[in-house]
Amino acid sequence: MEERVDHRKNRDADDVEAQRLVYRGLKESGRTAEAHAALNRLVELDPSGGTATFAHRERGKLGEVGGRPVRIAILSSYVLDPLVPFLDVECRRAGLTPAFYVAPFNQYTQEVLNPSSGLYAFGPEIVFVALDLEDLFPGVRRGPSVDELARSRAEIRGTIAGLVRELHARSSALIIVHELTFTGSSPHGILDNRRGDGLSRWTEDVNRDLADDLGAQAHAFLLPLRQVLGRAGNERGQSRKLYYMARMRHGDGALRELARHSMRYVKPLKGLTRKCVVVDLDGTLWGGVVGEVGPEGIQLGPAAPGIEFVDFQEALLNLTKRGIVLAVCSKNNPDDVMPVLREHKHMVLREEHFAAVRINWRNKAENLAEIAAELNLGLDSFVFLDDNPVERELIRQMLPQVLTVELPRDASQYRSTLESLTDFELLAVTKEDEQRASQYQANRQRQALERSSGSLDDYLHSLEIRAEIARAEGHHVPRLVQMLNKTNQFNTTTRRYQTPEIERFVASPDHRVYVLEVVDRFGEHGLVGSAIVGQERDAWRIDNVLLSCRVMGLSVETVLLKRIYDAARLHDVARLVGEFIPTAKNSPTADFYSRHGFQLAGDVDGVQAWTLDPRVDRIEDPAWIAVKTTGE
Amino acid sequence: MRTVEEVVSGVFGVEPQSLDESSSPESVEGWDSMGHVNLVTALEQHFNVSIDIDDVMEMGSVGKIRKILLAYGVQA
Repeated sequence: MEERVDHRKNRDADDVEAQRLVYRGLKESGRTAEAHAALNRLVELDPSGGTATFAHRERGKLGEVGGRPVRIAILSSYVLDPLVPFLDVECRRAGLTPAFYVAPFNQYTQEVLNPSSGLYAFGPEIVFVALDLEDLFPGVRRGPSVDELARSRAEIRGTIAGLVRELHARSSALIIVHELTFTGSSPHGILDNRRGDGLSRWTEDVNRDLADDLGAQAHAFLLPLRQVLGRAGNERGQSRKLYYMARMRHGDGALRELARHSMRYVKPLKGLTRKCVVVDLDGTLWGGVVGEVGPEGIQLGPAAPGIEFVDFQEALLNLTKRGIVLAVCSKNNPDDVMPVLREHKHMVLREEHFAAVRINWRNKAENLAEIAAELNLGLDSFVFLDDNPVERELIRQMLPQVLTVELPRDASQYRSTLESLTDFELLAVTKEDEQRASQYQANRQRQALERSSGSLDDYLHSLEIRAEIARAEGHHVPRLVQMLNKTNQFNTTTRRYQTPEIERFVASPDHRVYVLEVVDRFGEHGLVGSAIVGQERDAWRIDNVLLSCRVMGLSVETVLLKRIYDAARLHDVARLVGEFIPTAKNSPTADFYSRHGFQLAGDVDGVQAWTLDPRVDRIEDPAWIAVKTTGE
Repeated sequence: MRTVEEVVSGVFGVEPQSLDESSSPESVEGWDSMGHVNLVTALEQHFNVSIDIDDVMEMGSVGKIRKILLAYGVQA
């Protein structure tokens, strides 16, 4: 039975019905994880509402297979329940196990205002607020006057601002508000954009109001619905009928696009942002094989063929602007390739844009693992782009945690393929993100120095490390939330606090939040460490200590701990309690408390408690770090 | 071209052999009001027709769907 299932999986991969049989076979043999994956493939083959709904229903019968949970709520003025099956499959592709709450149709105001509503009982981590312009302002269908338009614009702005305010007061969820769209035709025809009562300009104004209001709040975003529906194309044409039949607004194609786009918010919220893109060279960054045709023979330039590769390189360069790191892994002779990287006049990406370069004939899986170690990043934050299907298959099998992108055969689709990935989003871009590329360059110089230094101690001294430690303030919050949600290795408890919780800790007299900035002779690392301490009656509880992987191995974490220790001594605290929660990834942190003299005092539900008496025990700053402290 | 049974089985993920003329929302898992919208979308796409809303509401079984489609020139 099981052999037959595997056989079918390969032979009929493209056939929806066959895939459905594969799924049934896996389900009946109790191969739950594979059955879930088969449902993902089924929806990929047939992305219709029917099949997505079937897959969603089957998940309930299969039982779950782990995966990080995420709680998603939808508030809407129309029927948006059919989005759930599409969102479900997108979440599962990202390795998440979602739970959904869809508020009863058009009850969004009551759900938000009533503290005991189903919405709050559900406890969402992210709430999508999808209101339709026609529901907020039915008069828009009947050629409204200038006065009516002005009044409605103000009303809509007030309504949505009020909803977001009330929601935020009762929930720490991330709030995603859909843009408002007008789908009918203007009564003024082609004169619409010349008139004061024209609808196209008015719709722009309404959405700009929303962008202004939401843009000022870290916990709220405006989802560009018009762009999403534009990508879905004529699917939108079906919506009137769906509305008459079922109070729905979007057809299958639009729902699929909307679900994909929604993941651009869900992924960074859950710390699933990918941080490094590894690219091949021949056939990926340019056309042709440089070792055969030479630097002048490759396809790369302002006309086709070649312009598609310039375009693709520009899209890669754009990723670096929000802190995504690029690396090269190519089977080539460095002597053939380096002249292109350094001198080819149409190359957009140069040697300095790459944080790591591997040009050799070794197996790419080994190279990727080495790059991950060199950059101190997890392979699960890597994306691999290679035109060669054999290399892609190797990486898929050897390093399944890497996102291996199915690059199309046609290079003119490269840029759109890259831009359709939803894995590069950040909820806020910090100074650290913008500087990351140059920081990795400085890292390469540091490593060169390390190789030339006699001892580790000499090396550390030669780095001229300066650490500055301060109590966190409001402007630190975005970077703190970002680090808390993506730091896996040096993270004592991996508690994924969001903006409202951090804002509360920073403001609370019972909490101390410390931030650590580090500089060395090669440049600024920026804000790279933090600690959260809860001051309790008889002890201070160190809720979390984390450190960016960029500064691991320099002992700057000792500076954080020393600072907490100094404050505890000053306040005559009898006991410092450091909590530690082991995870699959934070083993580099496992000895953090023991090597600073803490004793293991207990282990309750997977939370270890390490204690130290600041009145008796001692913690010292490392000799090679110049520490500057501000405030108490 | 597929039969009505094949379209219905594709939308709800049930075996085509398990369907007959009398199969309806009462007997087919997933054929609820949202499922009905998905079914109508699939029928329209597959048979390339646009079905009137009063006909949509009458499509309460496989047999009724087949009969209504006949009026649109579709023999399935």
